[in-house]
Amino acid sequence: MTEVVKVEGVQKNFGKAKALSDVTFTIKAGEVVGFIGPNGSGKSTTIRILLGIIKRNAGNAEIFGKDVWKNSLEIHKRISYVPGDVNLWGSLTGGEIIDLFLKLHGGGNKERRDYLIERFELDPKKKAKSYSKGNRQKVGLIAALSVDSDLYIFDEPTSGLDPLMESIFQEEVERLKSAGKSILLSSHILSEVERLADKVVIIRQGEIVETGTLEEMRHLTRSTVEMEADGDVSAMADVAGVFGFEQDGNKATFSAEQQHLNEILLAAGKLDVKKFDSSPPTLEDLFMRHYEG
Amino acid sequence: MKEKFARWDILFLQYLKRDWKKIIIWILGIGLFSAGFIPAFKELAKGDGLAGMYETMLNPAMISMVGPTPIDSAADYTLGAMYAHEMLLFCGLVSMIVSLLHVVGHTRKEEDLGLTELVRSFQIGRQANSLATMAETVLINVLLAVVISIVMMSFNADTITVEGSFLFGASVGAAGIIGAVLGLLFAQLMPNAHGATGISLGLVGLLYMGRAGTDASNADLSMINPMGWTYLTYPFTENNWMPLIFALIFSVIVIMIAFVFEGNRDMGAGYLPEKEGRAHAKRSLLSVQGLFVRLNRGAIIGWSIGFLVMGAAYGSIYGDMQTFLQSNEIMQQMFTQAEVSLEESFTSTIIMVMVVLVSILPIVIINKLFAEENRSHLSQIFSTKVSRTALYWTTVGLAIFAGVLGTLLSVAGLGGTALSFMESDTPMGMKDFFVSGFNLWPSVLFFTGLSALIIGWVPAAGKLVYIYLAYSFILNYFGGIVDFPDWFLKTAIQSWMPEMPVESFDLTVFITITAISVALMVLGYIGYKRRDMAEGV
Repeated sequence: MTEVVKVEGVQKNFGKAKALSDVTFTIKAGEVVGFIGPNGSGKSTTIRILLGIIKRNAGNAEIFGKDVWKNSLEIHKRISYVPGDVNLWGSLTGGEIIDLFLKLHGGGNKERRDYLIERFELDPKKKAKSYSKGNRQKVGLIAALSVDSDLYIFDEPTSGLDPLMESIFQEEVERLKSAGKSILLSSHILSEVERLADKVVIIRQGEIVETGTLEEMRHLTRSTVEMEADGDVSAMADVAGVFGFEQDGNKATFSAEQQHLNEILLAAGKLDVKKFDSSPPTLEDLFMRHYEG
Repeated sequence: MKEKFARWDILFLQYLKRDWKKIIIWILGIGLFSAGFIPAFKELAKGDGLAGMYETMLNPAMISMVGPTPIDSAADYTLGAMYAHEMLLFCGLVSMIVSLLHVVGHTRKEEDLGLTELVRSFQIGRQANSLATMAETVLINVLLAVVISIVMMSFNADTITVEGSFLFGASVGAAGIIGAVLGLLFAQLMPNAHGATGISLGLVGLLYMGRAGTDASNADLSMINPMGWTYLTYPFTENNWMPLIFALIFSVIVIMIAFVFEGNRDMGAGYLPEKEGRAHAKRSLLSVQGLFVRLNRGAIIGWSIGFLVMGAAYGSIYGDMQTFLQSNEIMQQMFTQAEVSLEESFTSTIIMVMVVLVSILPIVIINKLFAEENRSHLSQIFSTKVSRTALYWTTVGLAIFAGVLGTLLSVAGLGGTALSFMESDTPMGMKDFFVSGFNLWPSVLFFTGLSALIIGWVPAAGKLVYIYLAYSFILNYFGGIVDFPDWFLKTAIQSWMPEMPVESFDLTVFITITAISVALMVLGYIGYKRRDMAEGV
């Protein structure tokens, strides 16, 4: 698969403050990449660099094999972008702004536009100043989803949308995914990323701390095990690969390291197990580890 | 009552704390402007100045601008009479507009921004914010009235009496209160702050024009106009307090109506329906050019009307100019130069002043590009194939166009009115006005280029250009009176160009300044291509 986005060791300083110290990741053709990280970790800065809105201080960043700063216009012909906070001209109506964005992007599809306006239940005749946050976001989304691009960049696109609209957005992303489009999805709604993303990139304090598929990440971390047995569960505490052991009578909770799974199961087997639940870490668990540092 | 206005006093004190800097600037600004020109008018009044000014002011065009005077013979036209006549209406107008903007900004605007929602979730009455804002505005206007009176009396001038000074101050304060209640009323009626500001400013404009008509024909009719209740007090002459009582009654009634309207509406709603817009864009909007024309349309139309009116207003003075100039030493010094007709001398100065003002519009348009960028309005446009080149040159092009249009309209307004007001034996024709105006056009282009340069490299400093513009305005305006050294005068860009029609056209200067301006634009473009876009910084 070819690499649509390739970011290598990108750095960005704002004056003396270091916003990005080392950002490296790739997006392959047809891949949906979830881009997550705490507030202020550098997600939007990275995206603005990718869009050529700001200039990196060091490193390489390419989209479609072209430099994001020098060849931004070539790149922009084939991408769509929705910012996390869509700001609109108060004196224009939503419909006018959508038409303008389609025209400026080129290659908009009128039927899709009308279909999306209906699906997202947007009133296009209202002036943008009377729109709520969610409705402004819809304008940005409809404009981006009505054009045909190869790469879609969404920066917290569903902030302010209700769950119904959020699920419509997710359906649309799945449609793009099945059409083989590449997507960079920055989001705080981890269930959304979990559902849609093939790969997750976690950024913290301007540095990529984790990248890979959810499967890979889960493999590296521990599952949570809850068990109940007739035998003395305290025996489990000393088994290799068991961490954070807590006992409550004949019930026990602990985290289990994946590579010691066999030893753990063997040890548990001797205790006349009544119940043994192992749950893989959710993205939230993975993420919390990075939040908490 | 308690439910409605609970704890408004806490908000009131909070607002005084929040706004204290603004309040000081407001009171000192309008206060000194209203009262501080007395020494300058004293100078004007010397010799035959008062009589000459009286003649000039009988011109219906002047009355429609500054209002009438109750005096009917030049002998009674004292310093006080002249000061109130020429200053009071304008000061009242400014006071009215500032109060109006303040009230809308702190009532409806805060509602639109969602601040009111937050405030109302505390133990604060539903209408406490409006009451607190009104109380604050009334207090400011009372202080303003006191400051004006004290400053006026401090000059110790003849005919600037104690009663007149208090009445003058009270009239300006009353104008502010009328503006405040109008702002509050429309803040309730309109669907948002933008509409409230627009409609109430429009109404103030209408009242001003309405009184222009009645003042010129029959000043008694102006008494039914709320704006009339300020300047028809005639301080220093008739000292009529009656209009202020009308203003007070009017304000109390309007404020009660506004509170009833506010009490009966939902937060965020208005009474006048919001017009439904287009579901789809017109073809004319669908381009970078179309978008920027649309975004700047209001400013361009508004300023253009302003330029035309300004030209016409100055043009209307030509008729009585001779009387005016001959009676006044300072003015003579300013306008009369050897072997030149008064008309020509006057024209060159006025055109200079007008062209400086015309330069404001291109600066506004260019700074708009940065405002759009900073408000993140352009985020989604930056990520399309629209280039920075297109954004930059569209804006600069529009600014250049606005500069040409402004020059054209102001000169046309001036020339057209001047020629119709002047006696037939004038050496000047329409062509002279146009040539004189466009002779200075490179200075407009220079300000356009300077703004473009700054937007390209240090956009946050974009407003500095206004300071340089104000500086060159002052230098040019007083350059004729005070003997400044040449190098000092030359720090204002306009001073490099010949003062037509008095001096003759200089092609080299014209081309040089044009070329420098274009170079500034190109330099700005290089910066704009290279710099980071500043979103929400």
